[in-house]
Amino acid sequence: MKFKDQFQFVRQNMKKNKVRVFMTMLATAIGCAFLIVLASVGFGLHDSLIQDTMQNRAVTEIQVHGKETDGSYQALKDEDIDYFESISGVRAVTRKKQLQQSPVFSINDYQVQTMAMTTDFPSEMKAGLELSKGKLPEKDNEIVVGHDFASRLAKSNISDEELYNDQDQVKEKYQYDGDLIGKEIEMKVVQIEDNEEKSHTIPLTISGITEAPNREWFQDQNVYISESVLKEVEQFTGTNRGMITTPGQEDMSSGQQQEDSYDQVTIYAENMEVVQEISDELKNKNYASYSVVSEIQQINMIFTIIKTGLIIVGTIAVLIASIGIYNTMTMAVTERAPDIGIMKAIGAKPKTIKRIFLLESGMIGLAGAIIGTAIAFIVSMAVNIALPLILESVFKEELPPELRFSMIPWSLVLIAAGICLLVTVLSGLRPARRATQIDVLKAMRREV
Amino acid sequence: MITVKNLYHHFELGKKGNKTTLSVLQDISFQVKEKEIVAIKGRSGSGKSTLLHLISGFIHPVKGEIWIDGTKVTDLNETDFAAFRLQHLGFIFQNFQLIPSMTAYQNVELPLILSGATQEKRKAVVQETLRKVGLENHGEHYPSELSGGQQQRVSIARALVLNPPLILADEPTGSLDSETEENLLELIQQLNEEMGITFLIITHDDQVARIGNRTIEIADGALVEGGVIHEI
Ligand SMILES: Nc1ncnc2c1ncn2[C@@H]1O[C@H](COP(=O)(O)OP(=O)(O)OP(=O)(O)O)[C@@H](O)[C@H]1O
Ligand SMILES: [Mg+2]
Repeated sequence: MKFKDQFQFVRQNMKKNKVRVFMTMLATAIGCAFLIVLASVGFGLHDSLIQDTMQNRAVTEIQVHGKETDGSYQALKDEDIDYFESISGVRAVTRKKQLQQSPVFSINDYQVQTMAMTTDFPSEMKAGLELSKGKLPEKDNEIVVGHDFASRLAKSNISDEELYNDQDQVKEKYQYDGDLIGKEIEMKVVQIEDNEEKSHTIPLTISGITEAPNREWFQDQNVYISESVLKEVEQFTGTNRGMITTPGQEDMSSGQQQEDSYDQVTIYAENMEVVQEISDELKNKNYASYSVVSEIQQINMIFTIIKTGLIIVGTIAVLIASIGIYNTMTMAVTERAPDIGIMKAIGAKPKTIKRIFLLESGMIGLAGAIIGTAIAFIVSMAVNIALPLILESVFKEELPPELRFSMIPWSLVLIAAGICLLVTVLSGLRPARRATQIDVLKAMRREV
Repeated sequence: MITVKNLYHHFELGKKGNKTTLSVLQDISFQVKEKEIVAIKGRSGSGKSTLLHLISGFIHPVKGEIWIDGTKVTDLNETDFAAFRLQHLGFIFQNFQLIPSMTAYQNVELPLILSGATQEKRKAVVQETLRKVGLENHGEHYPSELSGGQQQRVSIARALVLNPPLILADEPTGSLDSETEENLLELIQQLNEEMGITFLIITHDDQVARIGNRTIEIADGALVEGGVIHEI
C-alpha cells in the first residue's frame, strides 16, 4: 500500500469522526503550546541576560584584579604584566594608575573636574585605542583627553541648575567650542593639611583626543597623564596616587596603593574563543580575574538547567494530552474492528494496518504541534506586550528595553514538535498493535 | 490448484483447568484441479467453514499440509500469508463483508490499493470489474443502498479485481432468494469459463452443488469417499 493511499485512507477515517479527532488535536495543541510558552520564558530571559551582558562589556576583555599569595591579594606589578603579555592568545595588556582624586582642569574660564590616570599608550593602541585628533604625548607635560572631555568642559561661573540640561549634559551654549589640540590646560590638585585645603596647579598641553567609544551611551572624559605628572602630584600631596588625607586619619597606610603597582589591568584576548583558556591559565597562577565569557558560561549553565526543567514540566502537559490520543485511537480501533477484519481477510498485512493507525495518531500529533506552535507564538507575543505593561504599572518603574520575557527560537519549536510527535506516536502504538492483533473471523462475525 | 494432505484440526474449549478439545477435522486429504468448480457439502457443524478458514489462512491447522498454486501455505507466516491471499485468493462470504463506510467502487478498489496499484490503473480496473458483475452504474452506492444480490456482486467484483486464480466462497447464496441465487450461480459459471478461475464453494443446497464439476462431502470431520464428479 502506497503512502499516498495510506494518507488518503487515514484522512477519510478521520473525517468520519471530525469532532472527536478535532478535540484530541485541540488537547494536543494546548499541551504543545503550554510546553512552548513555558520554555520560551526561559529562552527569553536567557537571551535578554546574555545580550545585556554582551552589550555592557567587551567580550574579549579580561580584567585582572590581583594575585593571591599566602591568602592575601597583591596588586599587579610589571613582572605580572610581562607574564600576561607572554600568554599565547593575548593581544594587549593595558595598565592604568589612577589618581586618587579628581583634579579640576581649566582652560581660560572653562573648567571640568574629572578623573586622571596614567596609561601605557603602546598597549592601549594595541588594545584598540585610537585618537580622533592630534598625536600621542611625547613630552612629560603632554596629555591625551577622552573623546567626551570637551563636551564636559564648561563655563565656570554658571550655577549647576543652569549648566546642565535634563539629560545631565552640559548645555551646548556653555560647552567649550574651540580646538583643544596644542592648548595649554591647567590641572589643579588639592591636599588637606592642618584642616586647610591647599592646592597645586600643573600646566599641561593637550596633544591628542581619543576616538569616540564604540558604545553610544559610554562616555570617555578621562585625562591620560604621564608618570612624571603623577610623581609631581604625589610629591605635592605626600601620598601615593595623590590621595587626599582625611583629617584624623593622616597616617592610615592600609588601602594605599604601592608606588610601582597598577590599579586597572586589562588583558585583551585575540578573540572570544581564547578568553576562557586565558582565564583558566590565570586561575591556575592564582590571579583573580573576571571576563564576560566566564559569566556567560555560568549564565548558560544555569539557564540550560532552567530550560530543561521547564521543558520537562511542559512535557507533562503533552503527556496528559497523549492520554486523549490513546483514548481516541483505542476507540477508533474498536469501532473499525470489523473493517480491519475484512481488510486483513482480503490480504492487508499487519504492518500496513499498524502503519495506518500510527499515521492517524501521528497526524493528530502533527496537527496538534502545528496548531500549538501557532497558539504559542500568539501567546508569547501577548506576554511580551502585556507583561511589561502590567509590571510597569504595578512597580511604577520602567523596565529595561531589551528585556524579553518570552522568546521562541526554532530550536524550541523543533524540540516541542519532536516531543509532541514522539509522545503521540508512542501513545498510538498500543492501539495500533491491538489493531494488528484483531482476529479476522471474530471481526467478521462482529464479535470485537 | 489446491492440495490438502492429512489435515487435522481441533478447537480448545473452556478455561484453563478444565480444557476440552473439540476435534473438527480428521485426516482430510483431497485435491482441486485448475479451473474446477468444487462444491463442499455437509451437515451443519460438520467442519466445512473450518476447512475453508484453514485454506484461507485465517486459522492455522493442528496438523497437515495445504498447498495452493505450488505454495505450501501452511508454512507461511502471518505477513506472508496476507500477501499471498491478496494476490492468489478471492473471497466471497455469506454476508458479503463489505466495508459499510465505503462505496461499491471503493470496496472493489481496496485490494488494488493494498497491492500498491496506481490511481489510473485502479480506475480502469475497478470500472471494468464492476462492468463484469453488471454494476457499472452502481459504483457510487454504499452497501446499504444496494440489494443483497447487488452487494454480493460487489463482493465478487472485489474478489475478482486482482485476477486471483482461486476464489473461495462460504455459502455465497446463503442470504439470497432463489432467483438471485440463480443469477449469481450463472455469474460464477461464466467467470469460471471465461477467466478460468477455480472455485471452491461451500454450500448447503443442491442447486449450488449442481454447477460444480465435483462435490466433496464432509461428515463428522472426515471426507465421505467417492465425491461425485458431475459433468456438465
Ligand atoms: N472458533 C471456534 N471455537 C470453538 N469451536 C468452533 C469454532 N469454530 C467452529 N467451531 C466448532 O467446529 C465445528 C465446525 O464448525 P464449522 O463452522 O466448520 O461448521 P460448518 O460445517 O461450517 O457449519 P454450518 O453449515 O452451520 O456453517 C462446530 O461444532 C463448531 O461449534
Ligand atoms: Mg459454515
